[in-house]
Amino acid sequence: MQNNNILAVENINFRYRQKKILDDVCFSIHRGDICGLLGPNGSGKTTLLKCINRILNNENGSIRINGRDIAGLSRAEIAGLIAVVPQELNIMFPFTVLQMVLMGGNRRFGFSGIPGRKDCSDAMETLEELNIDNLAERRYNQLSGGEKQMALIARALFQRAEIMLLDEPISHLDFKRQYTIMELIKKITADKDLTTVITLHDPNIAGRYCNRLIMLNDGRIVHQGLRNNIFHAESLEGIYDMKIKIEYTNTGMEYVLPHHIQ
Amino acid sequence: MKKNSAFVIITILLILCIIFALTTGQYHIRLDTLWKVVSLKFSGKTPTDDLATPSMVLWSVRMPRVLMAVLVGAALSVGGVVFQGIMRNPLVSPSFLGVNHGAIFGASLSIIFFSKSAFSIESFAFFWAVAAVVLVYLIGNRGVNTITTLVIAGVIVSTFFMAAGSFLKYIADPYEELPAIVYWTMGGLNNILWANVRRASVIIGIGITAIYIFRWRLNLMAIGDEEAMSMGVNVNRSRIIYMLFSTLIVAAGSSSCGIIMWVDLIVAHISRMVVGSDHDVLIPFAAILGAAFLLFTDTIVRILPGGEIPISIITSFIGAPLLGYLLMKQNNEWKG
Repeated sequence: MQNNNILAVENINFRYRQKKILDDVCFSIHRGDICGLLGPNGSGKTTLLKCINRILNNENGSIRINGRDIAGLSRAEIAGLIAVVPQELNIMFPFTVLQMVLMGGNRRFGFSGIPGRKDCSDAMETLEELNIDNLAERRYNQLSGGEKQMALIARALFQRAEIMLLDEPISHLDFKRQYTIMELIKKITADKDLTTVITLHDPNIAGRYCNRLIMLNDGRIVHQGLRNNIFHAESLEGIYDMKIKIEYTNTGMEYVLPHHIQ
Repeated sequence: MKKNSAFVIITILLILCIIFALTTGQYHIRLDTLWKVVSLKFSGKTPTDDLATPSMVLWSVRMPRVLMAVLVGAALSVGGVVFQGIMRNPLVSPSFLGVNHGAIFGASLSIIFFSKSAFSIESFAFFWAVAAVVLVYLIGNRGVNTITTLVIAGVIVSTFFMAAGSFLKYIADPYEELPAIVYWTMGGLNNILWANVRRASVIIGIGITAIYIFRWRLNLMAIGDEEAMSMGVNVNRSRIIYMLFSTLIVAAGSSSCGIIMWVDLIVAHISRMVVGSDHDVLIPFAAILGAAFLLFTDTIVRILPGGEIPISIITSFIGAPLLGYLLMKQNNEWKG
């Protein structure tokens, strides 16, 4: 039987100044998954993403992508497997959106790393795919929050990695743009045959867009599995330390509320 | 198109500065004479009697000085752009990492304890300028997100070398050694010979070529360590490469001409305003603009009535108010 795991995290720990941030974290993700990482602030979500991308080095255990331990890979090889969309990127120098997107292709640009004409037209195509080619010559610093996230997603797409890690990509966006960005993530994950790991604060968004969930609390995984198996009030109460209820709309859609809200 | 025009204009400006510098001075050389002297040189013929003096002035005095101004102007400016990029701060210059105070300390050591010869001063200044940055790197490099610690280490090392330099000035002979140190510190190209040009051109040529080859990846370094790593850059190795070559070129410039202030900061800022933040364009533009700026300033210094004054006085008089004006024009972000 073919193993469909693209990412396997096996028993990793991470400590910062004696404080355990990740404690024996172990999970696997299938190709094509949109996997939501849920948990309160400080539960280790961002640290876990940084370990997967080897920005931080886990103490023990292993992180395997397509069966290869990333500890033995170069930065360029990891960049070929994993692209990252940060929560918010503020930069000192005002690069244009096209220049930002081009940076995603760095690992393909050879020894000196200078993009050619073809690379520029490919980057423009990526912007066109996301319908943001009108932003190409705009300065990244001057974009709205939603436009910045779109630009960063375009950059991740141009990186042409198999896995996309997104660290709270919608936490500072308005209501409409949260859904715009999540719809886009869902679409490109399917269209581009990607696997997406995304940290989220809103369980409603996670429940709507993720087919797999990992719930973290205090550095430990408390629940994990397919969304339909673990998305219930008890599991959410376990990570947020509050009474939670799940109600249903007329169309049968679930929505999560704190228990005391009528 | 805009960037191409900027390159054409700045290149013409540099050529005009070179012609201005070669023809202007206490001994005026007419344009047609300049043409004849240069033509004779390249055709390998001996200059006629009427061209002997301009030929001697041009090839023995002005040409090495002009070439050195071009080299050092380009080196300081490229060094400024690189340091600002890797430190992600448009107000950083190589002097933040102790290059200048290291060079002053080295030059003072040579003048007091070893030799006042140009070669000795140059060698000591170069060695200690590089040593200062190596020390900063050893103290301040803390892996990821190391910029703040590098800047703090730069302040520590600069302060240490400043104190050591002050001590050397204190014990220096006040009639010969102290004026030599002070004059060297203020910078100048008045004693430049072909030997200086040859030495500096090798280091500056190699350094600028290496930075030019790897210029585009500075874009990634300039947006953040984690970002650069995520896109496949070995951040530590790249930082060492950029710091090494930019330190070498700035140290080569400072050791040959003394401390020339403001060129790195001001040229990097103006370049960013004209051609934007993309280092692909920024590095060559800053090199040409820096060469033109230092050459023009040096020519002004040379022709001022009352005799030549140290060049840093003029670069500071131009640089400080210009940077203040540019900063006041900025809003919250640095425009590119």
